Amino acid sequence: MYDPTLWHRLQFAFSIVYHYLFPQLTMGLAWFLVFWKWRALRTGEERYAKAARFWARIFGLNFAMGVVTGLPMEFQFGTNWGEFTKFSGGVIGQTLAMEGMFSFFLESALVGALIWGEQRLGPRRHFLAALGVAIGSWLSGYFIIVTNAFMQHPVGHGMSEDGTLHIADLSDYLLNPWGLVQFAHNQMAALVTGSFVVTALGAYLALRGRSAEQAKLYLRHGALAGLVASVLVAFPTGDLQAKLVAKHQEPSLAAMEGRFQTLPSMVEITLIGQPNVRERRLDNPIKVPGMLSFLAFGTFHSGVRGLEAFPESEWPTNIELLYYSFHVMAGLGTLFILLMGIANLARWRGRLETTRPLLWVLMLAFPFPYIANTAGWITAELGRQPWLIWGIMRTEDGASKIVSSGNVLFTLVGLTGMYFVLGLLYLFLVGHEALRGPDAVPHSHSPYGEPEALSAAKEKGTP
Amino acid sequence: MIELWFGILGFMLIMFSVLEGWDFGAGALHLLVAKTSAERRQVIAAIGPLWTWHEVWLLAAGGTFMVAFPKAMATAFAGYYLALWLALWSFMLRGISLEVGGHLPDPLWQAFWDLVFAVANVLLAIVFGAALGNVIRGVPLDETGEFTLAFFTHFGVRGRVGILDWYTLSVAVMTLLLLCAHGATYLTLKTQGTVHERSMRWARRLWWAVAVGFPIVTLETSSVRPEIFRAAAERPLAWLGLLAALGGLGALITGRRLGREQRAFAGSCAIIVGLLIVLGVGLFPVLLHSTIAPEFSMTAQQAASSPRGLQLALYWWPPAMLLAFGYMMFIARQFRGKVRSS
Repeated sequence: MYDPTLWHRLQFAFSIVYHYLFPQLTMGLAWFLVFWKWRALRTGEERYAKAARFWARIFGLNFAMGVVTGLPMEFQFGTNWGEFTKFSGGVIGQTLAMEGMFSFFLESALVGALIWGEQRLGPRRHFLAALGVAIGSWLSGYFIIVTNAFMQHPVGHGMSEDGTLHIADLSDYLLNPWGLVQFAHNQMAALVTGSFVVTALGAYLALRGRSAEQAKLYLRHGALAGLVASVLVAFPTGDLQAKLVAKHQEPSLAAMEGRFQTLPSMVEITLIGQPNVRERRLDNPIKVPGMLSFLAFGTFHSGVRGLEAFPESEWPTNIELLYYSFHVMAGLGTLFILLMGIANLARWRGRLETTRPLLWVLMLAFPFPYIANTAGWITAELGRQPWLIWGIMRTEDGASKIVSSGNVLFTLVGLTGMYFVLGLLYLFLVGHEALRGPDAVPHSHSPYGEPEALSAAKEKGTP
Repeated sequence: MIELWFGILGFMLIMFSVLEGWDFGAGALHLLVAKTSAERRQVIAAIGPLWTWHEVWLLAAGGTFMVAFPKAMATAFAGYYLALWLALWSFMLRGISLEVGGHLPDPLWQAFWDLVFAVANVLLAIVFGAALGNVIRGVPLDETGEFTLAFFTHFGVRGRVGILDWYTLSVAVMTLLLLCAHGATYLTLKTQGTVHERSMRWARRLWWAVAVGFPIVTLETSSVRPEIFRAAAERPLAWLGLLAALGGLGALITGRRLGREQRAFAGSCAIIVGLLIVLGVGLFPVLLHSTIAPEFSMTAQQAASSPRGLQLALYWWPPAMLLAFGYMMFIARQFRGKVRSS
């Protein structure tokens, strides 16, 4: 308990898990807004503009939460992980600075205009604002994932004389193959979250018999995007990600599967079971023979090394949680494809809006992509342990030496209280907007002076 | 190359100070210049859709600090641990109060978030003022190359100092006054009616307070870090900064006399920019000054990234900066002019 690294890890884990609840919806929802704004522009149909207007209100709240909870993340590299920053800041600083310069400036300038500026900007420029925010949020995701990919699979760096890392090849670093796969996998998963949320609200409206036209739009577009994204999360992106782990992070693969013994071929995959690290076995396993060899290496005849093939100092530090988070992610991902497959079948037969049991399931399913996304990130980050930068720096060497446990616990407790209040506010306000539905007159007024300032501008003759 | 990156970092921090400065000031004053709910909406409308863009300057400066001077960034952020978290919490409160305040039409709900918004802005102005004081006064860097700052120790400016002492406190109060004066000048430009009149009155009072306080703080600075003045006097850029500040003062006075609100506001910006240029030039090349012994101070050269990294970052930084200004112009064009009370 006197090990400050533990508190630093808890604080970072807590703040990043909480933070990422919001960007995944931002990144998923952004393209729905772009699509609807584009359809409204092309067809002139009010229902698309109305959908974009309604979801922009929820998007705005979600975006604000993402900004507010994201603020501490960049600072924590310096405050809590000072040794890591001293060692690798010359490399990861590139992408962290790029995120601020390329995406935050873009998003921050346009998001207010997206949410409040529809009248003022006119349809074309308002569409551009939506597009800019969507691009900005995905760019931001890319820079962060490249930074994470460097920690998972370091490339493009060199060692300086003073024992710190420096950037050797910027394009190698930015085009890290691990990063490209991880980005594709992660962005598809964000689209799954966006699709499930849109579908869930459509299902709620359909079940209540309100705003029938909007409900149909949300259900149809949500289910279609949800199916495409759920499939792409698993294949090819998830599959490629698993093969990268199998190739470059062998002990992680073994721990994710709860595999202690090495097998030369036909290695089975575990569907359910509880890892027993002390006894070095899996309790109550249900297995499919040969599948792990096939999924990880593309052939049934390849062997998989178990944890016993590696020294314990290279084992991931929390094998049980790593195993469960991986299985929760993979299991939920499979169920998402199934559910969205059924929804699209119903849609094809014209019964999506009327099949009440299906609507109930779709309405209640939206929390699960959040769980799957979180479990996926826990898999990635616990799988990287005991390394902070794979093969180069261990986690216990990265925390700020100078900051005492007492100070970290002080801020962790404060952060927990603050985030609890933020969470209550978010649920209350989003629930309020969502339950009022797309046909309600928005009583949230613009903080930017619409429409008074608009009339003032009109008097002056500047539209 | 190292001078260039010191300059870039300085540029970004100065931009942040001027831009967020008027948001902090206007936000801190808004309970005083706006009494009714409609008047408060008017102030928030004047702060406008670009306050997040202003805030990003700090985030982008943080990233730039890391890419250019990782060692100093890590040492400073870990050392300022508690102060930074206080600033982060204030930022969170401010952002959330602006966003959620307008989502319910209930008057109590709005009054509460207006209060949170004002308190967060006052806190932010004070915290950034204290941070500025700390940069000037220095931090207790010792032979380990690390430091840690408690909120307060013995309130003196030598040896094992804390975040708050008599000097940093006076810089904090000075910063609060200056940013409030800056914010009031901005509100004078952007508002009409009673808010406009109250802002004019507050701007006059606050600028007088600045005029009284500034010479005192300057005298204090010359006793805490006399070498800043010696270094600045030898460097032409500092004289340019001084010229800008004096020009700004002239524009502020004549602008207010003649009712030229844009000129007065431009003058207010020039004063802040000019003073910070003088300070930045005087501080170079020291990033972290040691209050224990000068040889423990960390200079830009010692903290810099590899030459290759600095060079690579120079390829993408200028186009990114141009793009950032492009977005701002796009939005500022849509929202120009005064906002009115409904």
